[in-house]
Amino acid sequence: MAYGRRRRQNQAQGSEDVQGPSSALSAFLREQGINADSVRLRYEDNVRREQEMIERQQQLEQEQQEQEQQGQEEQGQSGNILNDNLTDIGEASGLDSDEEVYEGDDKNDTEVALIKERARAKRRRVDGNDAAGFNADHGVGKNYCIECDKEFAISVYSKKMEKYGRVGYLCPSCTKIAIRRERLAKRNEIEARKKRKKIAAALLDKQAFRLPSLQDFCIKIITENINDVDLLGDIGVNNRKKISRILAKKRSLDSKTMRLFLEPSLRELEFWDCSKIDKAALGQIPAICPKLESLTLNMCGHLHKDNMLYYGEKLTNLRYLDLNGPFLINDQIWQDFFDSKVGKNLTAFHLRNTHRFTSDSLVTLLDNIGDQLEELTLSRLDGLDSKGVYDLLPHYLHSIKYLEISYPHKEELIDDDMIVNLMANNGEHLETLILEGCSYLTDQFLVSGLKPFCPNLTKLSLKLLDQITDNGVTQLFTDWNINGGLMDLDLTRCISLTDNSIYKALEHCSQTLVQLKLNSVKGLTKKVFLRLSRNIRFPLLTSMDLGFVRSVDDSVLAILSRIAPKLSILEIYGNSRCSDKAIVRGDLRIIGRETDSI
Amino acid sequence: MSDSDEEKTSPYVTLISNDGYSFQITREAAMISGTLRGMLNTSFQESSTNTIKMHELDSQLLEKVVEYLYYNLKYNELVDVPEFDIPTEMALELLVAADFLDV
Repeated sequence: MAYGRRRRQNQAQGSEDVQGPSSALSAFLREQGINADSVRLRYEDNVRREQEMIERQQQLEQEQQEQEQQGQEEQGQSGNILNDNLTDIGEASGLDSDEEVYEGDDKNDTEVALIKERARAKRRRVDGNDAAGFNADHGVGKNYCIECDKEFAISVYSKKMEKYGRVGYLCPSCTKIAIRRERLAKRNEIEARKKRKKIAAALLDKQAFRLPSLQDFCIKIITENINDVDLLGDIGVNNRKKISRILAKKRSLDSKTMRLFLEPSLRELEFWDCSKIDKAALGQIPAICPKLESLTLNMCGHLHKDNMLYYGEKLTNLRYLDLNGPFLINDQIWQDFFDSKVGKNLTAFHLRNTHRFTSDSLVTLLDNIGDQLEELTLSRLDGLDSKGVYDLLPHYLHSIKYLEISYPHKEELIDDDMIVNLMANNGEHLETLILEGCSYLTDQFLVSGLKPFCPNLTKLSLKLLDQITDNGVTQLFTDWNINGGLMDLDLTRCISLTDNSIYKALEHCSQTLVQLKLNSVKGLTKKVFLRLSRNIRFPLLTSMDLGFVRSVDDSVLAILSRIAPKLSILEIYGNSRCSDKAIVRGDLRIIGRETDSI
Repeated sequence: MSDSDEEKTSPYVTLISNDGYSFQITREAAMISGTLRGMLNTSFQESSTNTIKMHELDSQLLEKVVEYLYYNLKYNELVDVPEFDIPTEMALELLVAADFLDV
């Protein structure tokens, strides 16, 4: 009833549109059909009702007294007792529904008539101008839609709902609309979930989700049907490379499909998964591509000694060789290869993951091309177990620009003296130095090796060097004037480092730094970021890893977002204080938040 | 080329395949392709006539390319999109075309 009144007042007010300015509260009240009149009316109602109740109570008490007196005079009148009970019930059950209760008692007739008359008057007041007389005939068996107020016959399909503080049913047409709306909401929810999933998946690939290009679609279809392709044709070097990489990722690069990528004019070739390419197919590389200058073979466990010797004979232009996992090649073959004319031409040699590359192999390599080598990688070579041979490196290498010595067989093999010596001989050329997992190294090589001898160093990786301390790093980066600044710094799991040294390092490199990894440098506190925020900007920093630096929180993210305007990838795995509420730039992708889970 | 005298700011662009079929597409769709955008934004003949002859593409390929341009136009902002259908036998040629058109 209350709602009906509000609605009707609403409709009535719809016509009087021109109004002065009003507050949000009064607009809300008006919308809800609450105005001063209705409030006053309700108040008056209540007051009147209370008065009536009091009056009736008094009347009843009087009557009761009279009846008692009469009863004492004429005992055995049962009707009155019943009547009294009824009166009580009437009082208890809400006063307005008295029509049915008060029936046919002569004695109370006048009173009943009075009450009825009052009730009617009240309803008339409440209904106001309502012509339909809606409330008057609101009876049993009739249903009114809770939403549109239409009268309808309730059925099993009617939708029950709770609204405006009441429970009611919707009429068929409203039900239809509500169901359609619900279904739509459900579909939107599913859609949104799918969207979140895709965005989260793209985030893990360090990309923002975007519509695949037509080339991507084509490449997808080609890689799915690569076995039916006879010739790739003129699809462009980048697309060729892309297809090759996708095939490698899908592990479907094999002896047959790899031939699609061989071309006589090719100068560079890379196969990132050679595990299904057999000896015969590997032998075809120099036969079809004699002009190769750069060759990268990853996971090349099938690379046979015949292949290696054949390469040593035919690939006369080869300058760059990168092999990962060639464990069929033994010491003798390595020596033969380095003694061949191709081996003597190399300026870049990268080798990873083989135990058959021994100390003797390295000596032959150094003997032949040690002084011309510009790039050298020796990573995870367990056959190199002689410290004496590692100590030879400084004597042979003179023009090295890129040096990676990582994960040696035993940590003692790489010590401070050797690196200091190497820097003294090569430091002026050196641009990249990667010493991952050489955990025997201490502060000494930083202070006596890098600081005085490395003016051109731009990339430095000291991953897993747990013995270097604040002292060494601070000394290295304080007034390192000969060096113009690093572009790539990796201090992952240098767990002894804390705020001061990291601040010094970042202060030195701030203008040049592009990539920074501080994963698991757990000594870092929030203070260092506040200090950076006040004093330093990183104009070029684009990628940063702060995983498992637990002090990083939302405010640190906001600081980094501000002081590194080009930062686009920030990894923060394992930092539970970072949430999706962090206020960062839109083009900064934050990877590894718990809230981003798929 | 009946439309060679059209205004430069015409909202439509005509692409002509090497076997003579012409496709009228909106300028907005054409702009998705880096190559077409380059042609239309310069003082080349193509930009004044709003007509581009695609000597490398036959009508089938060009139709597919146009289909993709509109696909991109329609779904670019959305995430849950239907797969773009490419006949397997067309994939390689289409890749060459897509590489050329930078889409």
